[in-house]
Amino acid sequence: MSILILALAIILAVMSLVQKNTVASVIAFVSMMFLLGIYYILLGEKLLGLFQIFVYTGGIVVLTLFGVTVIGSKFPDFKIRPWAVSIVTVVIIGLLIVPFLLPSMPMGGKVIPLKDQVKIFTDFYSLIAIFMGVVAASILYGSIRMLHTLKHGKE
Amino acid sequence: MVGFYIDAIAALILFGVGLYGVTSKSDFLKIFFSLEMLLNAVILLLASGAYHFGLTRGLAVAYVIIVIATLEAAAGILIFILSHRITGEIIPDNLNKAVEDE
Repeated sequence: MSILILALAIILAVMSLVQKNTVASVIAFVSMMFLLGIYYILLGEKLLGLFQIFVYTGGIVVLTLFGVTVIGSKFPDFKIRPWAVSIVTVVIIGLLIVPFLLPSMPMGGKVIPLKDQVKIFTDFYSLIAIFMGVVAASILYGSIRMLHTLKHGKE
Repeated sequence: MVGFYIDAIAALILFGVGLYGVTSKSDFLKIFFSLEMLLNAVILLLASGAYHFGLTRGLAVAYVIIVIATLEAAAGILIFILSHRITGEIIPDNLNKAVEDE
């Protein structure tokens, strides 16, 4: 069951990027987020699943549909960037190597000592914190660049 | 333990799809979708870690990620609509060119 839901979610994720019609793309995105929310509920994290469904399929998609009403129903043509696949391949190979460098993860069902929890937290979640930092920095850079462009546009 | 590996592989594939979208697509809406996929891959890994290993601290990070994604959506749609108003398109590459032409 879990494999089916996750496979469907990945297929819908690919569909949302491949579709040329904006409404179909948004519907694929919504379905993917809804399936992930259902999966979290199946994992026992009811609050996280409900949060996911309410926030993504409720709030964010309504905002996106508002944007879609502005741009129309077709995506514009875009330039093909062949180096994108090579970047993705390098990053995925790097992410596959990282778990072998980390200390072995504890087995399920056993009580984890606090010392080991802190060790896992510092070794494992620090990578996620770095990733979030990179994403936040890129969003900040994009916002500053946009403000700069808008300012020069008014002049 | 097998379940965690299935979730980790699914999260990795989702992360790869999102990364490909961020690097290859050139309109704001698909870049926005791809960024959300990147964030959701991390949330999936954290939720799976909480379920299989009892690492409930990761759930706190997951909630923070969802809040950040909400704020990012609001800012992203604002940029998206402003870009469409300035250039008539939603392609970020053409934004500088349109401003220079004016």
